[in-house]
Amino acid sequence: VSSQQFSALTEVLFRFLTEPKEVERFLTQLSDFAAMNKISLGPLKNIVKSILLVPNGALKRNLSSEQVRADFIALGLSEEKASYFAEQWKVNSPTLTRLAVGQTLMINQLIDMEWRFGVTAGSSELEKVGSIFLQLKLVIKKGSQMENVYIELTLPQFYSFLHEMERVKTSLESFS
Amino acid sequence: PSGALSSLPFLQLVSALHNLTRHVVYHGLTRAEDILSLFPENFHQNLKNLLTKIILENISAWRNEAQASQISLPRLVDMDWRVDIKTSSDSISRMAVPTCLLQLKIQEDVALCGNSPVVSALTVELSKETLDTMLEGLGRIRDQLSAVANK
Repeated sequence: VSSQQFSALTEVLFRFLTEPKEVERFLTQLSDFAAMNKISLGPLKNIVKSILLVPNGALKRNLSSEQVRADFIALGLSEEKASYFAEQWKVNSPTLTRLAVGQTLMINQLIDMEWRFGVTAGSSELEKVGSIFLQLKLVIKKGSQMENVYIELTLPQFYSFLHEMERVKTSLESFS
Repeated sequence: PSGALSSLPFLQLVSALHNLTRHVVYHGLTRAEDILSLFPENFHQNLKNLLTKIILENISAWRNEAQASQISLPRLVDMDWRVDIKTSSDSISRMAVPTCLLQLKIQEDVALCGNSPVVSALTVELSKETLDTMLEGLGRIRDQLSAVANK
């Protein structure tokens, strides 16, 4: 593979790594590359699979670009190509790191929150009530499913809740 | 104790008292005159005054209880939180990401549970971004409430 072809391939690889949801696009770009360079798609896919293992392993083990370069040379890649890849790695690693962090396990992640508030006008036991309540709908991701949780709060509870959440924000900010 | 307490007149008495108090609470009667006017013409004067006095003393407690036990969505009864720092995971070996775990204690509809309310705990994780968005929403709720209060 010439160095020009290699850079083109590397570009395709990193574009996929930084946007892992674009699987279709990645596969299309791979077959285009294969066709343009008269390489058969099967072996190319295998090579790409092995190459992709390197950045993933590098993220897991927090490797520097020097170490990535050394890994590739150990795998048999030329110095020039290994350096090029390591450079690309350095440029892309903040994005890749952010993606990996984003993929980290979250327990019952809060996805969305909706609210409404209103007044209870009357009930079967009280003809006229006039009390204000707040109703929250929390959309929670439990495993792979979404669950809606409905909660009612009185106004004093709402103000406490707001106060507590502001304290959480201060706490999170002091650790960032 | 048997005898008088299980006899029909006694049960009728309890039922009548219950209806009277429910009526007073339902209509939100607060003045002695309104309650006194509920009694029939030839009702014993002193008993009427005594009952009215007792009812007036208990009205707000009964109203509060009625409001507390009316049907509702599950209610928030308590909340707790803690902030953790995520240091590594299977996809990345080193990081320092603060995250919040929020535990909400929720009580199911009191009207459904009667005397044994079911309280469940829901633990939710919020990232900093989620928390910021949530605070924005809560801020808007607070502004809306102030606008209503100031009208």
